[in-house]
Amino acid sequence: MAKYLIQRLIYMIITLFIIITATFFLMKIMPGSPFNNLGGKITEEQQALLEEKYGLDDPVPVQYFKYLTGIVRGDFGVSFQYENRPVTDMLLERIGPSAELGAQALIIGAVLGIILGMIAAIKHNTWIDYTSNIVAVIGISIPSFVFAGLLQYYLAVKWRLFPVSFWESPIHTVLPTIALMIFPMAICARFMRTEMLEVLGSDYIELARAKGVSNGSIMFKHALRNALIPVITVLGPMTVSLMTGTLVIEQIFAVPGIGEQFVSSINTNDYPVIMGTTILFAVLFVVVILIVDLLYGLIDPRIRITGGGKD
Amino acid sequence: MENILDVNNLHVTFDTYGGKVQAVRGVNFSLKKGETLAIVGESGSGKSVTTKALMGLIKKPAGKIPEGEILFDGKDLAKLNEKQMQKIRGKDISMIFQDPMTSLNPTMKIGKQIMEGLILHQKKSKQEAKARALELLDLVGIPNPEKRLNQYPHQFSGGMRQRVVIAIALACNPKVLIADEPTTALDVTIQAQIIELMKDIQSKMDTSIIFITHDLGVVANVADRVAVMYAGKIVEIGTVDDVFYNPKHPYTWGLLGSMPTVDSTEEKLLAIPGTPPDLISPPKGDAFAARNEYALAIDFEEEPPMFKVSDTHYAATWLLHENAPEIEPPPAVKKRMAGIAGEEGSQS
Repeated sequence: MAKYLIQRLIYMIITLFIIITATFFLMKIMPGSPFNNLGGKITEEQQALLEEKYGLDDPVPVQYFKYLTGIVRGDFGVSFQYENRPVTDMLLERIGPSAELGAQALIIGAVLGIILGMIAAIKHNTWIDYTSNIVAVIGISIPSFVFAGLLQYYLAVKWRLFPVSFWESPIHTVLPTIALMIFPMAICARFMRTEMLEVLGSDYIELARAKGVSNGSIMFKHALRNALIPVITVLGPMTVSLMTGTLVIEQIFAVPGIGEQFVSSINTNDYPVIMGTTILFAVLFVVVILIVDLLYGLIDPRIRITGGGKD
Repeated sequence: MENILDVNNLHVTFDTYGGKVQAVRGVNFSLKKGETLAIVGESGSGKSVTTKALMGLIKKPAGKIPEGEILFDGKDLAKLNEKQMQKIRGKDISMIFQDPMTSLNPTMKIGKQIMEGLILHQKKSKQEAKARALELLDLVGIPNPEKRLNQYPHQFSGGMRQRVVIAIALACNPKVLIADEPTTALDVTIQAQIIELMKDIQSKMDTSIIFITHDLGVVANVADRVAVMYAGKIVEIGTVDDVFYNPKHPYTWGLLGSMPTVDSTEEKLLAIPGTPPDLISPPKGDAFAARNEYALAIDFEEEPPMFKVSDTHYAATWLLHENAPEIEPPPAVKKRMAGIAGEEGSQS
């Protein structure tokens, strides 16, 4: 197990290195400089001075090397736009709302989706099943920002049930969470229904019935765990799509999260913030994939990393 | 000896898009304490469905038991609801499935799978159930039971898994054990071991066994009595000797004739011509008539009743009617019968 983890850790570092490199050079290809969109408030000489100060006049490979050595020392640079604030501070300040929103949407969405899928499978070929199928197809095919707009218009503006935007109290989190959780819910429901039907038709479920196990126990003790295996597989990519989903949703609901800051940093060529956010997302991504792989082993003994084979 | 199970006029139907399939059409048999009854017949003859009906495992709402009774322990199992059946399944009647590779839950330790029934039916504590599970693993011949208890099915070979399935079925000392082709999915050497194990267990536990198979060699080896099923009905029933040495139904002749023996000298195996009838609209008269070269005119008109051959032996064919012409089984079948006698002699 320890050997496996170390191996995975090395792969993670390689992945991160590739992501950092690619993002850095892509970012440099983007037109403009952090200081040329200040609307002519500074002269060209001032701009050259600023660029020299931040090392932007060096050749790109040199900048890249400097940035990498900085990261290794834990220095992610300072923002060009916000009064020289360290990027680390800015991210730490902003990560709270994003993490809260993402986690709420993922957990509630996945749990609801799994329940919906199970019910659909148990009542398959009834109106309950058809309804849940339609809900799932809608949830998969319509992007989250459309739901966001609809939710804001009906629930907030028209019926005044929830605040339209901002992130101040738990009630403020309701609408963005709903908008963001529809996709994972729909995906989980679809997968769960298919898997559950397959599992319920399997021989080992029949054997459990033949043992006299009640229907409830069959569902939760025998079927659920087996049906969850493929659902766990989609949880990884789903978490990633949630991360990108938050970028848009945070903009729409004015959530002071990382996504909002990320978008504005791209617009203003705030290189250190772009890099810092990308690295943060990348780290989250590889960690989530590792967690999913470990969860997989926890649920399915056949692919457990340790433990002997056939004997 | 007393009957432990009486099945009277059992019918099972399934609603499908094509129509109502009459999978079992009036089956009668009884099972005595401690005996092994083999049910043989080709695929789709209703063997498995009959036993699923005994277990209450007919899938509703498509599957129904419109008629008939299954008398067990003073109760009619056909009338019990799901909750009542749950108390009987696995406790009084249990089942061994066909394919051990798929019939164990892949994500549950085998110890837990064995203990589940014990905790459920006998209200045993975890400790007691574990002790019994160890005993069972030992009984079915699995070495290292302590270690094996904590392993998952994928860590077992096919033959070992079938032993686990048998241990699960035996956990609560069932009165009736149904084995649905328990050796079909195993390779031949393992088949022999599992058959020996089942015989051994029966002699130790005095369980009644219903053994479904289409391997007539196995029947001769394990069974006391044989029921031959065709198109949802029992067409011939009797002791192994009755059915193998004095078969009366032309379908039984066909089955015996199509069985390969060690010293077959013929180039070809005999096959029963044609295919089984469509059970959505079963033919009038004897369902086997269309494939039967000895069919009489009445076979196409009226269903034959069960004729008594001896106290233990019954067959449903008009050939046994007093007005029917005297017909001997074909010579090839007679030869096979002699062949089986030889094989059986060498086995015991």
